[in-house]
Amino acid sequence: MSYYIRYFAFLCLLITASVSAATPIIEIEIRDHLFYPSEVEVPIDTKVKLIIINQDPTAEEFESYELNREKVIPGMSKGIIFIGPLPAGEYPFFGEFFPKTAQGKVIVK
Amino acid sequence: MLINSVILILREVLEAALIVSVFLALSQKLQLSKRWLMPALLFGFATAAIYALNIQVISQAFEGVGQEIVNASLQVVIFGCIALFVFFIKNAQNHKRIAFIMMCCVSMAVTREGAEIIIYIQGLIAIPELRSPVLIGSIIGAGIGISAGVFFYYLIASLSFKNGLRLGLFLLILIAGGMIMQASQLLIQADLISSQQALWNSSSFLNERSLTGQLLYALIGYEATPAPIQVYMYICSLFIMITLTVRTLNHFKQREII
Repeated sequence: MSYYIRYFAFLCLLITASVSAATPIIEIEIRDHLFYPSEVEVPIDTKVKLIIINQDPTAEEFESYELNREKVIPGMSKGIIFIGPLPAGEYPFFGEFFPKTAQGKVIVK
Repeated sequence: MLINSVILILREVLEAALIVSVFLALSQKLQLSKRWLMPALLFGFATAAIYALNIQVISQAFEGVGQEIVNASLQVVIFGCIALFVFFIKNAQNHKRIAFIMMCCVSMAVTREGAEIIIYIQGLIAIPELRSPVLIGSIIGAGIGISAGVFFYYLIASLSFKNGLRLGLFLLILIAGGMIMQASQLLIQADLISSQQALWNSSSFLNERSLTGQLLYALIGYEATPAPIQVYMYICSLFIMITLTVRTLNHFKQREII
C-alpha cells in the first residue's frame, strides 16, 4: 500500500515539475516609457511568465485591469509577473506611471 | 500628466485614508484616546521610505516575487489587525491593546500605499519638465483622498453611538475583505497559489476602469474578472469579519449600551 502511495507521490511530483518547466516565458522591455514589444501573443488556457525588463532610470508600474495585474518595476531592474490561463481575447496593459506612452496588449489565441 | 498624478495618488491615499478615518471615528465613539495616530503615521512613513529605497532588492527577492510577498503579507496583517480590533472593542478595559492594534494597522496601510507614492514621485520629479505637474497633481490627489477620509470620519462621528458603530464596523468588514481579495490576487500573480480562469466577467456590467469601478475597488476590492480562489478567500474573510462583528454588536446590546 505504502509503495503505491510513494509511487503516486512521485508521479504527482513529476507532473507538477513538468508543468512548471513548461511555463512559457515572454520578455517585455521598457525603454523611454514604451513597451517593446507592445503586443505579445500567448497561447490560450496557458499560464505564462512575463519578465518585464525596465531599461529606464525611472520606475514604472505594469498595470492591467483586464489581466488583474499590478506591479512596480524599479528603474534599471526587472520584475516577474505570471498571467493566465486565459480565454481567447485581447488584454490591454499599460505603465501606470507613464500611461500616455507606455501601452501594450496581450493577445491570447 | 497632471491628471494621471491626481488619479494615481488619489487611489493610493484613499485606501489608507479610509482605514484611518474609520478607526478615528470609532475611537471617538468608543471614547478611546486618539494618540495612536501620530506614531502610526510617522512609523508608517518611515517604513514606506525604507521600502521605497530598497524596492530593487525587495523586487528581486524570492526569485523575483518579493514585492508580491511583502505586499500580500502587509495586507494579511491589516486584515488580522481589523479582525482583532473588532474582537477586542467589546471590552473597554482593552483600550491599550486596541490602540496598539489600530497603530499597527494604520502604519501597515501607510507603508504599503506610501511606498508606491514615494517611488512614483521620486522617479518622476527626476525629469525636469514633469516636476511641477507631478507635484501639483500629487498634492491635489492627496487632498481629495484626505477629504474623502475626513468626510467618512464626520459621517460616522455625526451618527448616534449605535448607528456610528454599525457603519464603522460595516466599512471595516468591506475593507478587510478587500485586503484578502488583493492579497490573493498578488499571490496568484507571483504563482504562489495556482491560477485558474476567471469565475465570471462583469466588466461589461461594471468596468474596473470606470469611476464607480475604481471606487468599489478601493472600498471592497472589486474585480471584474476574479479567479475562483479569490472569490473563495473573499467569502471566507467576509464570514470571519461578519461573525466577529455580530458577536461584538450582540455584546454591546446585552450590556444595553446600544
